[in-house]
Amino acid sequence: MKRFGYRIFIAVCAAASLLFATRGFAEENTSNWFGSLTHVPLEYTAEDTYVGDGDVRRGPNKRVNDFDENDSIVHLIFTPRTSLGVLRFGAEWERFSFGLPDHAALPDTLQSVSLVTGLDMQFSDSIIVRVEGQPGVYDTEFDNLGWDNFNFPFMVGGTYIYSPTLQLILGVSVDVERKYPVIPAAGVRWKMASQWLLDAVLPTPRLEYEMNKDVSLYVGANVKQTSYRVDDDFGTTNGIPRLNHAILTYSEVRTGGGFDWKISPVVTFTGEVGYQPYRNFDFYRAEVRYHQEGGAPYGMISLHGAF
Amino acid sequence: MWHWPSLVLLMKAKMLNLPRHFSLKVCGLSLLPLLWLLGLGPATAHADAVSDLASFSIFSKVDLAQLAKGDVKTSHGPPMSNPRFLAVQSCYVALGSSPVQQIEALRRWDATRHRELKVFLHSDLPSNPTAANFEKLKSAPDNASVRSLVAATQKLGPDLQISREEAKKFSAGAGGGGPMPASVVAFWADVLSARTKSFVSGGMSAQPPYDHSGASIRATDEVNGLLREQGKIRNQFSGFLGATGIGRGAGSLKPELYWELLEVDDQGVLTLGASYNRGGAGSTYQSADVSYYASGGYYVALTLYQMWPVTVEGKPSTLVWRGDMISAASLGSLHGVERLGSESVMMKNISKAVTLFRRDTSGGR
Repeated sequence: MKRFGYRIFIAVCAAASLLFATRGFAEENTSNWFGSLTHVPLEYTAEDTYVGDGDVRRGPNKRVNDFDENDSIVHLIFTPRTSLGVLRFGAEWERFSFGLPDHAALPDTLQSVSLVTGLDMQFSDSIIVRVEGQPGVYDTEFDNLGWDNFNFPFMVGGTYIYSPTLQLILGVSVDVERKYPVIPAAGVRWKMASQWLLDAVLPTPRLEYEMNKDVSLYVGANVKQTSYRVDDDFGTTNGIPRLNHAILTYSEVRTGGGFDWKISPVVTFTGEVGYQPYRNFDFYRAEVRYHQEGGAPYGMISLHGAF
Repeated sequence: MWHWPSLVLLMKAKMLNLPRHFSLKVCGLSLLPLLWLLGLGPATAHADAVSDLASFSIFSKVDLAQLAKGDVKTSHGPPMSNPRFLAVQSCYVALGSSPVQQIEALRRWDATRHRELKVFLHSDLPSNPTAANFEKLKSAPDNASVRSLVAATQKLGPDLQISREEAKKFSAGAGGGGPMPASVVAFWADVLSARTKSFVSGGMSAQPPYDHSGASIRATDEVNGLLREQGKIRNQFSGFLGATGIGRGAGSLKPELYWELLEVDDQGVLTLGASYNRGGAGSTYQSADVSYYASGGYYVALTLYQMWPVTVEGKPSTLVWRGDMISAASLGSLHGVERLGSESVMMKNISKAVTLFRRDTSGGR
């Protein structure tokens, strides 16, 4: 359970500072200097997930047992309305930390800092399309960065609004560094009843129950897959030289239940617990793959919102 | 973190079926259809109608022949700084129908015939209504929306849009037959009749605020805000609106009054509305339908119409522009793509309502 408390602190502080900024702007609005800033639309997330001890295995004999994981995310995206649609421009940081035993041929940190650039466009009264890219650095410890650490995954997705209660989603995710560079996906968002919503859309398919205006309960999943480049000497250090400067596609699936609590119009607190049934470290070009041997429970907290 | 574009649409679609009832208020109006049929009405050239449309609306280029062949054209209105506001504009050609006939058709059109529009009850009102004018409430349908309205009324819930003074008048009594207990019917009959009278005497400015559960919201401020943020539309309709009670005191034009029970976001909502229209130069018409009171769901809704006589395929026809605008607290919580989605739903619902109207009327396609 490495540095979990520390990461939680960072996540909460980041969100708290946003909160503070929001209130500050609101107060300053009366004196006008920050008045225009209160109208800058943005969305933010500060999230931290702790996954308990799990195991992975490579081949019949090579095991990495009892390591925990911490996943922290902070993102801030401005969403101004333009004549073309809603612009999305901001930044995102994500860091996975693994409490690995010595000599495991896996990186103990996977980290990315990226810009978020995108556009939501309304093509008709039935079709909305999002194009979004996340150019940035996808690395481990950020200690030896080069152009090879740069990647530009992007996605194009469309929503067909069949009716106010039913929308169909179709999209494609592209990442040239991924084992499968192009992954199509489809989903459906169906408000089944006044309090029930099926939001079967990747990466976070959910079934939600709205308890009241401020609190919703849900069960669902979170599917993650991102590619990172490891250090120049990573392979040599771990006895597999072909892993030097290699691309690692990290995937995991979390399944669980949680709640969204709308603390204020601009702040929602989410808590979630569950089980991680799938995890995969895949140096696919070097043909070295660690797949899940034993799952683990997890807990997640998040502060997010938009204004 | 890699997200597909999942829309979080707030399902407010039903509340956006705004057209309900239209009045015929212009003196001498009965002569105009005759003049039109005789070809004596002052004709407006296509170019004038199209350029007039372009001058204040979102539709800068319209091909009348194409528009006449197709369905209603819709587009979101200009972005507005108040997050509670949303606007959609639409236009279409009513083939073989004059503006006067369009006004009359709108006036006659009955939205309650279409279940999908979720208008459960509609009733016209005199200028001095009594509780008897709300008798239909006793025959409200027994469905989840109406039950939610009844429950909110009995609890005087925070989402109920009434004034503090009105809230004091509620007294829970014995239940009655039907889904709406007698005490609830009596309460709403009292609130709605009093609000109608104040509208007749003092326009929207005389409406009590929604202040029963905290912040005070005035429907007249909301409608004025909507118009202020759409300057071109406000200028286009300023003369006409100045003669109505919309966003001001009672005007010189006499409104057609009505009340409705409808569904907004799965909740039953009681509304009060008024519609006005007036003929202008060149046989053009302007019309306005305001929902100046709503018991929940939204604060105010306004639909404006501009109609021009045109000739398409050799037939006297009408170019219709329609602007729908709404203010709702729940819209304020929508951001980014959610807002786009909400606009799309509003556009879709308006298209649906217009299509049904055109299908039901002789000018429909």
